[in-house]
Amino acid sequence: MGKLFRALLFGLIGAGIVHIAVVLLVPFYSDRNAWSRISAYGDDWQFHSVTRDRAPGTVPLAFDPLFQAAACRFDIEDLPAHITGVGTTPYWSISVYNRQGENIYSINDRTAIADQLDLVIATPLQMIELNKTKPAAAENSVLIEADMDEGFVVIRSFVPDESWKEEVGSFLQSASCTPLL
Amino acid sequence: MFRNVLLALIALVIAVGGGTLSAWYAVNRFDGFGALTVGQWTGHPEAGTLLSDPYAKARAAREGAFPLGSAEGLAFYAYDDNQGQALDRRCSYRIEGNSPNSRFWTLYAADRSLIALDPGKDRLPALHSRQILRQENGQFVVLVSPKAQPGNWLATMGAGRMVLVMTLYDTPVGSNSGLVDMTFPAVTRISCDG
Repeated sequence: MGKLFRALLFGLIGAGIVHIAVVLLVPFYSDRNAWSRISAYGDDWQFHSVTRDRAPGTVPLAFDPLFQAAACRFDIEDLPAHITGVGTTPYWSISVYNRQGENIYSINDRTAIADQLDLVIATPLQMIELNKTKPAAAENSVLIEADMDEGFVVIRSFVPDESWKEEVGSFLQSASCTPLL
Repeated sequence: MFRNVLLALIALVIAVGGGTLSAWYAVNRFDGFGALTVGQWTGHPEAGTLLSDPYAKARAAREGAFPLGSAEGLAFYAYDDNQGQALDRRCSYRIEGNSPNSRFWTLYAADRSLIALDPGKDRLPALHSRQILRQENGQFVVLVSPKAQPGNWLATMGAGRMVLVMTLYDTPVGSNSGLVDMTFPAVTRISCDG
């Protein structure tokens, strides 16, 4: 009886260890995280519109039906990323995510400078250079320091009704994501 | 000898089976700690940020969603009505009251994995605060039903459980200043057929 009790106890402790190990390892081995979703859209350094479709092998995206979005992935190891966009929409916001899909920075149209979408994402080292001499292209940009190499941004814009679809679509079309030389 | 092998096997089965099952359940059903609950509505201000706990991180890695940042907004979910009963797509509900401070909000019905329901052709999949009809005191009433309703109607379709998602955009609710008026509308069941 004592032996059986001990076996059950070991089993429970083992279950706890397995539970913790699985939960901690899921983010590293998951093949359906935000990064693989973005990678399936297409090349890096380019905005792709975010689709809600149930593509084979992926889970459908939980996303507000009244919003349209575009995403771009980049690697700022060598050069900072420069994100711009032109247009008027009722509301837009942009988020910077690291490779794990964690939101590290976000702004909306009211917190941006003059309602314009213009930001530069740089590593701490590149930031020192940018503060010394700012390239003309990035004169009015919001500078974001991010200690990472690969990451992605998602721009989302509110579509209150069908009549705004075109306007919002052209705003997202105008968005560009290029290395800052 | 044979008994010892059997006991070791029992311990192993409990460890691997129990550990995997509980981890699966936690990752697929548990939203993580740090929930902000007001009435029937629950939000997760820290989800998807660097501050989120391991359960929320594991869940995010499985969903592959793009979580809203603190400057963007905060989503609140209602799983039950004010009687504590799970929301059903075949039932009609009344959402009445006021919303917390935000520039605007959207409201839609979703399935358990938070994918917006498709209410069918020519029906609005979601409502937002700039199109809604309000009463004299600024409060609003939204009727969630599979059948057409007067006033603000959020159409649903199909059968099974549903989740109501109210997303506040450009809101101070997630910050912990304590200065925010946390009033959420109440969700009450009107009727159920079928």
